[in-house]
Amino acid sequence: MTPHGFRRVAALAALVAFLPAAARAQAQVEGRVALPKALHAPVMNQRYGIISHEGVLSPYPPVAVVYLEGAFQATPPDKPAQMAQRDLNFFPAILPILVGTRVEFPNEDDTYHNIFSYSPAKRFDLGRYRSDERPIPSELFDVAGMVTLRCDIHEHMRAIILVLDTPHFVISGTDGTFSLKGLPEGNYVLKAWVDSRTTLEKPVVLTAGPALHADFP
Amino acid sequence: MSAAEDQGGAGMASFRTRLLVAMMLVVSAAAAAMLVLTQRNVDASVRRDFQRDFQDRLAALQTVQDVRHAVIAERSRLLARKARIHAALEDSALDLLYPSARDELADVTTADEGAFREPGAFALRARYYRFLDGKGQVITPADAKDVGELADADASKLATGRLIDQPQTGYIRREAGEDGHVIDEVIAMPIVSSESGEPIAAIVLGFKPPVLGGREAGLPSGIWLDGRLDLPTIPDEARAALEPVLAKAVAADGDHGAFEFHSAGTSYLVSYKQLNPGSVYAPAFEVAVLSLAESSALQRRLAWEFAGVAALVLAGAYLLSHILSRRLSAPVERLAVDSEENRAHWHRAQAALENTSQELQRSARFSADASHQLKTPVTVLRAGLEELLAGENLKPEAREEVSSLVHQTFRLASVIEDLLLLSRVDAGRLQIQFSRVDLAPLFEALLDDVGALPDVFDLEVEADVPPALWITGEKGYITLILQNLLENARKYNHTHGRIRIGALEEGEWVVVRIGNTGPAIPRASQEHIFERFHRGAVGENVPGHGIGLNLARELALLHGGDLRLSRSDNEWTEFELRFRAAGAAGKAKP
Repeated sequence: MTPHGFRRVAALAALVAFLPAAARAQAQVEGRVALPKALHAPVMNQRYGIISHEGVLSPYPPVAVVYLEGAFQATPPDKPAQMAQRDLNFFPAILPILVGTRVEFPNEDDTYHNIFSYSPAKRFDLGRYRSDERPIPSELFDVAGMVTLRCDIHEHMRAIILVLDTPHFVISGTDGTFSLKGLPEGNYVLKAWVDSRTTLEKPVVLTAGPALHADFP
Repeated sequence: MSAAEDQGGAGMASFRTRLLVAMMLVVSAAAAAMLVLTQRNVDASVRRDFQRDFQDRLAALQTVQDVRHAVIAERSRLLARKARIHAALEDSALDLLYPSARDELADVTTADEGAFREPGAFALRARYYRFLDGKGQVITPADAKDVGELADADASKLATGRLIDQPQTGYIRREAGEDGHVIDEVIAMPIVSSESGEPIAAIVLGFKPPVLGGREAGLPSGIWLDGRLDLPTIPDEARAALEPVLAKAVAADGDHGAFEFHSAGTSYLVSYKQLNPGSVYAPAFEVAVLSLAESSALQRRLAWEFAGVAALVLAGAYLLSHILSRRLSAPVERLAVDSEENRAHWHRAQAALENTSQELQRSARFSADASHQLKTPVTVLRAGLEELLAGENLKPEAREEVSSLVHQTFRLASVIEDLLLLSRVDAGRLQIQFSRVDLAPLFEALLDDVGALPDVFDLEVEADVPPALWITGEKGYITLILQNLLENARKYNHTHGRIRIGALEEGEWVVVRIGNTGPAIPRASQEHIFERFHRGAVGENVPGHGIGLNLARELALLHGGDLRLSRSDNEWTEFELRFRAAGAAGKAKP
């Protein structure tokens, strides 16, 4: 999993989400999230995107999802987001989406997968299917919250979908740097999701002009 | 003699009695010892069997526990690998935990108990199961249908209070309808994350305590839990009395122990051992209680049986020992009688010997007295005759007669002399004064004497004696011996006969041979010639008194030598005389 992948997807999602609002809001925030030191992941999980430690799920290598909290009128994208199963892993392993977004789960492996979630924000069970399954099984995520995805067949597989109320979010680089553009002016709370138990937050006053610098913590 | 026999008889009777008593004592002691040992053995074996049964029971329980642990651990491991279990536990979806595990644990709580026949299946036939969350608290199922009914109060007893990382065994008592209560064996097994290797939850299964087969199944035992003893096989009052004692013992002695307990006149053996040492659950003890009433009855019966057997054995032993003592004492008795007879014989022989000795002494004394008494008259007689002979008025014929009588007195004196000597020999009073004696001059002197004697036979005398021939002895007696022998050789000869004297040294002996021609000594007489007053079949014309050879031999023997007849036939009669040689340069020996 490369950070570029996250960024590209996030950027795409942000673009799709905020095109109508971009005309009237041009604030920008950038900064750095102090990421936890990368845990030495078990060898077995070396290439996995989400690791579980003492009941805490966190991305590996560590990245943060930075988003601006607030009541935004935003329309979910028509085009569904995608989270594939590739090489017995979810790809991407962490996916922030706007509430109401549909996510497709294409199976790109030669084997069966059985994606399910027991998370309160979204319980579902796609059952077993292969790569030739059409239409691509998908779920609509209409409640905000963290959804943990697993595969009933491959117990090591984990992924997190962050269902957010806001269209303004971005995945940081592995160095913790982030940049959010096209934000509305005003008083908001900027949040940084680090792992399943940790979400940092910072009040920000956004104005048009030069980018606001905000670091976590 | 008869008193001694009586004494012997009494001794024998007492010996027999003593033998009998000793044997009876031994038999009685052996029977008593056997009784005591067997009773003790019975007691010990009752206790040993009890302990062994208890240990067997504990081992069997342990085996069931181990099997259960193994099976549950495997189930737990399989569960932990289930993504849905993880999801339910980690994703705040505890309500989905039981449905997610239902398939995995479907066989655990099946209602059909008859379906399980295999030990492993039996071991896992649970009454219920529950999951514990990360804090060790029970996760309540939405629907208890699949996981076994359990009242909330009882379910809360399953909580471990913390996340466990080792299997825990516990026992809970719960109310169950009219039966009062039941005891469940519960096993809590951690569910360990297959990713992190750390416990994330636990599963607790409740089992019916194992019903054991085998010998130990008959052992009255129960479970001590929360200060109460669950043991229906002993009377209620005994159990009520036992409970505080057991509580104290458990508090004092830790996880196992044994003691004896008395209640209402009955003794009980009690053994206990903790079933769940080190568990987070309340300590529970397996308690076995054995009433000794049965064992006491058995011991009493054994005692009676033994008393009977011992009496029989004693009766038999009495008979046997009677016979045995009789048989054993018989040879001793015989020996005693024999020794009495022997003693009588000995006494008789002693008396006879005493008599003989006295006779001998008397005879020797008589001989000596007689000799002395005889010598005096002979001397007087000879003096008278010589006086008569000296007289002038004697006729020539008479003179010759008197002269002959004088000669007879000499013979008589000689005989008396010999008798005196013999009597001294007989009386043992003759002491030889040993010294070195040269035989050669003795022979020379004797031959001179012989030559001086009137020679009626015209005898030829040959002598072959070395110039020096030393012996040990007393000169006078040796001369006497040789004189006697030469006298005999001269006397028992014939006209123109010969006498031959030879002497030589042979080793430590000096052998003297004196032979002569003359009539042979008859064979029948040969062995008697050395006896006193034996004169053989010689004619009365030959002078002699029959003590010469006897005296010579006695003297030779006193010298440590010997005298024997070496040859006697019609041509030659020869005597052989032996002395101890003193050697040419040797010293006189005693």
